[in-house]
Amino acid sequence: MSKKVLIVDDDPDVRLFNTTVVEESGYTPIEAANGEDGLKLVKQESPDLVVLDVLMPKQSGIRLYRELKTNKSLQRIPVIMLSGVAKRTFLRSQKALTEFGDKPVPEPDSYLEKPVEPEELAQEIKKFLG
Amino acid sequence: MEIKKLLFVTRFDKLRFDALQSLMDLKKAALNHVVFLNVIEREKVAMRRGKGYEKSAEIRLREKANIRFIDWAETLFEQGMEVGVYIVVGSFAGQVIQAAEKESVDLIVLSPEKKGRLEQLYSGSDITEIVHRSHTPVLVYKYLTRKGPLAENPFEKPLLATNWSDASHRAIDYLKSLKDVIREVDVVHVASEKELKETSAMGIQKTRKENRRKLEDLCDELEAEGILAKPHVYIGDTVAEIDKAARECQSSMIIAGSPRKSLWKERWGTSISKGLAEQSIFPVLLIPPVEG
Repeated sequence: MSKKVLIVDDDPDVRLFNTTVVEESGYTPIEAANGEDGLKLVKQESPDLVVLDVLMPKQSGIRLYRELKTNKSLQRIPVIMLSGVAKRTFLRSQKALTEFGDKPVPEPDSYLEKPVEPEELAQEIKKFLG
Repeated sequence: MEIKKLLFVTRFDKLRFDALQSLMDLKKAALNHVVFLNVIEREKVAMRRGKGYEKSAEIRLREKANIRFIDWAETLFEQGMEVGVYIVVGSFAGQVIQAAEKESVDLIVLSPEKKGRLEQLYSGSDITEIVHRSHTPVLVYKYLTRKGPLAENPFEKPLLATNWSDASHRAIDYLKSLKDVIREVDVVHVASEKELKETSAMGIQKTRKENRRKLEDLCDELEAEGILAKPHVYIGDTVAEIDKAARECQSSMIIAGSPRKSLWKERWGTSISKGLAEQSIFPVLLIPPVEG
């Protein structure tokens, strides 16, 4: 059975792009349109990798990332952040949340700024899944 | 009734990021989540003879909105705020109500009406429809022009207009939940000409005294919560007098309960909330009555 990649992005066009790259790379894509649904799917499907957007309805990628990395049973799942929001902002926001009393979280395994070329995303996915 | 999550509805013209920044004092009253909404109205991307559905126009408008929202979100994320975004095509009022429900927001912030009076007669006012159909308080944001078109914190010195209705009582509860943000509040009741049962000076003074006493009780209630409050009685046309009171008190915003009326009455009748939202120069926070 091929490895599962969870794609969390509110933009259906981006989800289509990402799922195509995942399928073409030989993996099984699963999709969620916001952070809240993304977390449910992580728990249900135990994906091998998460490709995560930042700015989304319901729950942002910043909060979902934090949920993943502070949960002992989920923190091993590698996460590729894929967003129009700059990496610097992502890191600063995590720092701000830590200062407000949340647990510190590690930097993401990979951070890609949108838009990406299909080859770039495929290469990054393969780095984690082989 | 805390404001933890607000829906910021913008077309990028009348409501800019500085307006949102002026509301950031609400963080003292629990605000930690902002959801942006941009509604691309159908006529901008609709079917046109010989052109069909303008998908490219939709993409352009979506991306323009997305670029602005990313920029705004970056600032808020860095402050440790949670941010969400919706860019949708559809009818303005319907999409605002839908997003407010999906996200269970505590406050909707939007700009004054875009439609002209004639258009409102045919298709209704968006603000009226939102206030009527949603159970969430609505802040019609307006830039105060005391120091040029600047965004000032509207919650700093609000004016609470009360007519003792259920919606007014909910507005009072809402105000109490904002005690960490409000510096001072002016509480106003406008007695209509009809309320002046007698034409004698004594009779008129009696009406003022009765209302004044109720207002003083209300101010005591607010002061017990730690909000400095001053009572004022005005007499005359409700909308005009509330606006006059806000000017005289140098208020930063008007807060009023918005009793549930039929949409037909709201559209064709003389609703105070509609009148304030449309006519006053001040930001107006409309509080609907409790659901059910």
